[in-house]
Amino acid sequence: MEIVAQNIDEKFSFSPKLKKQVFIIGIVGIILSIIGILVMNFGGHHGHEAGHVAEHAMAEHHGSADWVKRLFANLWINNLFFTGLSIIGVFFFAVQYVANAGWSVILLRVISSFGRFLPIAGVLMLVVFFFASHDLFHWTHDYLYDEAHPEYDPIIAGKAPFLNTPFYLTRMIAFFTVWSIFAFVLRKNALSEDANGGTKYYRRLVRISVGFLIFFGVSSSISAWDWIMSIDTHWFSTMFGWYVFASWFVSGLAGITLLVVLLKDWGYLKPVTENHLHDLGKFVFAFSIFWTYIWFSQFLLIYYANIPEETVYFWERLKSDYYSKFIFVNLFLNFFFPFLGLMTRDAKRKITFLKIVCVVVLIGHWLDFYLMVTPGTLKELGGLGFLEIGLPMVYLSAFAYVVLSGLSKVALIPKNHPMLEESLYHHT
Amino acid sequence: MQIVSQVREPLVTGGKTYKDITEDICKPVEAKPNKSWLVAVTASIITLAAGGYFMGDMLWNGIGKWGLNKTVQWAWDITNFVWWVGIGHAGTLISAVLLLFRQKWRTSINRAAEAMTIFAVICAALWPVVHMGRPWLGAYWALPLPNTFGSLWVNFNSPLLWDVFAISTYFSVSLVFWFIGLIPDFATIRDRAKTKVSRLVYGMLSFGFDGSAKTWMHYESVSLILAGLSTPLVLSVHTIVSFDFATSVIPGWHTTIFPPYFVAGAIFSGFAMVLTLMLITRYVYNLQHYITLEHIELMNIIITVTGSIVGIAYITEFFIAWYSGVPYEQYAFINRMTGPYWWAYWSMMTCNVISPQLFYIKKIRTNIMMTFILSVIVNIGMWFERFVIIVTSLHRDYLPSSWVYFSPTIHDIMCYVFSFGLFFTLFFMFAKFFPVINMAEVKAVLKDSDSKVYKGRVTIPNNVVPDEDKVLT
Amino acid sequence: MEKNKHFITGVFSDHSVLLSAVKKIREKNIKIHEVFTPYPVHHLEDALGYKRSWMPKAAFLFGITGTTCAILMQVLMLGVDWPMIIGGKPFISIPDFVPVSFEMTVLFAAFGMVGTFFFVRDLKPYKVPRVFDRRSTDDKHIVAIDLVANNEKTQDELTSILQESGAEEVNTRNFTDSDNEASFVKYVVDLFSNGVTSSSRSLS
Repeated sequence: MEIVAQNIDEKFSFSPKLKKQVFIIGIVGIILSIIGILVMNFGGHHGHEAGHVAEHAMAEHHGSADWVKRLFANLWINNLFFTGLSIIGVFFFAVQYVANAGWSVILLRVISSFGRFLPIAGVLMLVVFFFASHDLFHWTHDYLYDEAHPEYDPIIAGKAPFLNTPFYLTRMIAFFTVWSIFAFVLRKNALSEDANGGTKYYRRLVRISVGFLIFFGVSSSISAWDWIMSIDTHWFSTMFGWYVFASWFVSGLAGITLLVVLLKDWGYLKPVTENHLHDLGKFVFAFSIFWTYIWFSQFLLIYYANIPEETVYFWERLKSDYYSKFIFVNLFLNFFFPFLGLMTRDAKRKITFLKIVCVVVLIGHWLDFYLMVTPGTLKELGGLGFLEIGLPMVYLSAFAYVVLSGLSKVALIPKNHPMLEESLYHHT
Repeated sequence: MQIVSQVREPLVTGGKTYKDITEDICKPVEAKPNKSWLVAVTASIITLAAGGYFMGDMLWNGIGKWGLNKTVQWAWDITNFVWWVGIGHAGTLISAVLLLFRQKWRTSINRAAEAMTIFAVICAALWPVVHMGRPWLGAYWALPLPNTFGSLWVNFNSPLLWDVFAISTYFSVSLVFWFIGLIPDFATIRDRAKTKVSRLVYGMLSFGFDGSAKTWMHYESVSLILAGLSTPLVLSVHTIVSFDFATSVIPGWHTTIFPPYFVAGAIFSGFAMVLTLMLITRYVYNLQHYITLEHIELMNIIITVTGSIVGIAYITEFFIAWYSGVPYEQYAFINRMTGPYWWAYWSMMTCNVISPQLFYIKKIRTNIMMTFILSVIVNIGMWFERFVIIVTSLHRDYLPSSWVYFSPTIHDIMCYVFSFGLFFTLFFMFAKFFPVINMAEVKAVLKDSDSKVYKGRVTIPNNVVPDEDKVLT
Repeated sequence: MEKNKHFITGVFSDHSVLLSAVKKIREKNIKIHEVFTPYPVHHLEDALGYKRSWMPKAAFLFGITGTTCAILMQVLMLGVDWPMIIGGKPFISIPDFVPVSFEMTVLFAAFGMVGTFFFVRDLKPYKVPRVFDRRSTDDKHIVAIDLVANNEKTQDELTSILQESGAEEVNTRNFTDSDNEASFVKYVVDLFSNGVTSSSRSLS
């Protein structure tokens, strides 16, 4: 291979045209969401009758109207999904440093830009929890812990040292704060590296990354128990933390790949060749299989042992008229599609293929979170309508705005990373 | 041409040439066995024979010779099985997963690690076979043949049968992978051979390999695909081993985190065993320029990562047992920690979770003696992990009247010793007759990582990189 | 049978030089018989104009054969031939069949592909390789050019082209009919009667 001079002085400009497109996505999303809510209130929504039955059964302590609950559940799903996308930006960035990865250097700015959404995701999470805790989390009701109350639940009461609102909020705030600080410090040091050169910042980044990974190793599992597993309060699964991580990781990788491909489409990231795309494709391919492995292992063990307190989770999802079909859609979108779509070498090196597969994987994993949250919160009232299409668009537009405007503030390609050359002449 | 950054450490030091690699690696194969090798092999064979006496006695008289009782029906046998299978994960991990992740440092350790994998899997497969009572019949009991040649089939719903498929697939695919890697090196030895027998034997082993570009092209493709196949395979093997326990309803066994946690534990113990063996081999064969401190440090880092994953899994299990509100789960874990087997639990915790954290200190992870000691400690810890999971979960079952304390007999101990004898005998045979380092692969990375190209690690303390090493801006 | 007997070989010790030499030689319309290297040289197959290896396809086909066999085996044995209720599960309980199906997929893919590789490259224990230069498994890269296939150029021209492109030595290598169709039995007999240096395919 010949050494040719490559221009790495690229700066992404968040053009007014692009901004307009991002806003349009958001506005369409808002309109669709409003239509969705209106349809729920006035239109013929599916399962109305079942809804009434359920409503009567739980009327006492599920005060909010159906549409409010559904809105809350959707907000929560999108919070989880977009938190995942942004934290994986930080995680993947840290992994590149710890693993001494050379191939990805010219993609580092794109990867780290995902982390900019973290503080916003944290605020959204807190605000939604503030309003929606009783509708989303059964365990937030005080009477469950009151022995005198007819609804006293000894199992949930036993979890009180962990599942109580002050401690829960402390954990949530602590995780988002520490994650955001790490994201900021990593970004800042990477920029100092760019400005000053040398290997001092590189080695410092490796150490900070190690610190982040240790913290993330513990906090990612706990956040999955907190934010998702505690919805089905009685239910428990030791695998759950890693299952959520696997889902986050794959969606984050698909998001990063998609953004890289789009930037190339817009005429940026010239030094990124199909060899880099090949590697990104391999990551999406491999971790789709990893997700399937985790999903299947958890499912198989619960299915095989058939212990009622565990099977309840899959019972809710597989024996339901409404949700039972989704589990297969989930497996199709998140396993078969990326597996067959990205199996060949050529597919991983073609922009069109990557775009299609990444979009499908992102939708698939959104659906995965939908399946984690909805049956526990909305029971049989869940639906997939305008709201479920509109709200992710609103989040996407906010996410894209934050990420792209962050990206436009820095040089797109780091120029003083000690492994830059490896990445520029990367060849698989 | 591959560009290699200057912050990377060289993979081969000492200014070795291609010729030197051939000489250094082939010499032990061609030379007469030296004294230390003879001593080592004799010791292994004595161990094998001593253990073999008790193993034979056990086979003759039945597994009543072991300390099993009606509550603890699985103890050292399955503990040893899982332990050996776990150790047998590192070789494939190094050659497959690290190949996919383009970790070039794997080239000088993959050969010995794969050999170790194969021998460890043999030692593991020993246990299910000998525990059958009449192992000469077991060979076909486990196969999908109709029972007593009538019409009943093996049970494909049983994780133990999955294990039969998993272990045999893993063993045979690893063997093929290892052999594929050996072919070019056998050809090298064949072409250098001075004696008729070695020319014939290594010639046959090399399958007539001639190093033509077309063969290399297919060869590389085959290696890559084998790596791609072995990666999920290696995960599946320990996953299925964990299913042996996790599909049951025994508290302490049935937990969904088992599959990935067992895999992490397997890699953890496997790397520790690779380090134990490689540090000895490196010393005996003078391979300091091929297995450098950089290699040792990177392996220590992997040990720390996997050890921490295992630690997180322990904590998760513990926490969720409490969180579940299931009294049996809760008791099982309290009993592990404070019950009659507290010593096993705390040995496991100390060896597996606390000791690898020492590797965060650079001085320790680059110290050969400390690495050796810790690698042995990790393997002791991983044996205790399996013992804790298996015996402490069984010894207090649902009927308190049958609660017992399991104690091993001399047969338990000596059968375990037998597997060590087998393992080391096989390993020393390998180290004598086969090239212990993959010459072709090391040659392939030599040019990009020669110590003449950039500075050796010993000369670069953290943060201080000489000006001439700085990357162009 | 004149073809494939008379060769001229160029010896290289640096793979970068080798790569550019191969390109130069092929630009001059000279057909390279084969290049022998002690380790895989990246992009050599591109320089020689070989088509990408089709081993992945073979692996895929063997793999799906394995999956199919495994699923058929389990369904026929436990679902059709002798159905049994095990653990309260259906006769054909798909999740339980996944592990064995996976293992057999890998087993078939790995063995099928390696078998194909051995077959296609004619690798077998009783093969007697035709060695152009013994150093090609040690530290030298050997470019072999068939003199008959390139008969529009003289041997001297070929030699100078090899030397210009960086070959350290240029040698000739001639094989006899019996070298080209070596019998393993004869090789072993030769080896043991005449010693290592002289056998039906001398390895010097």
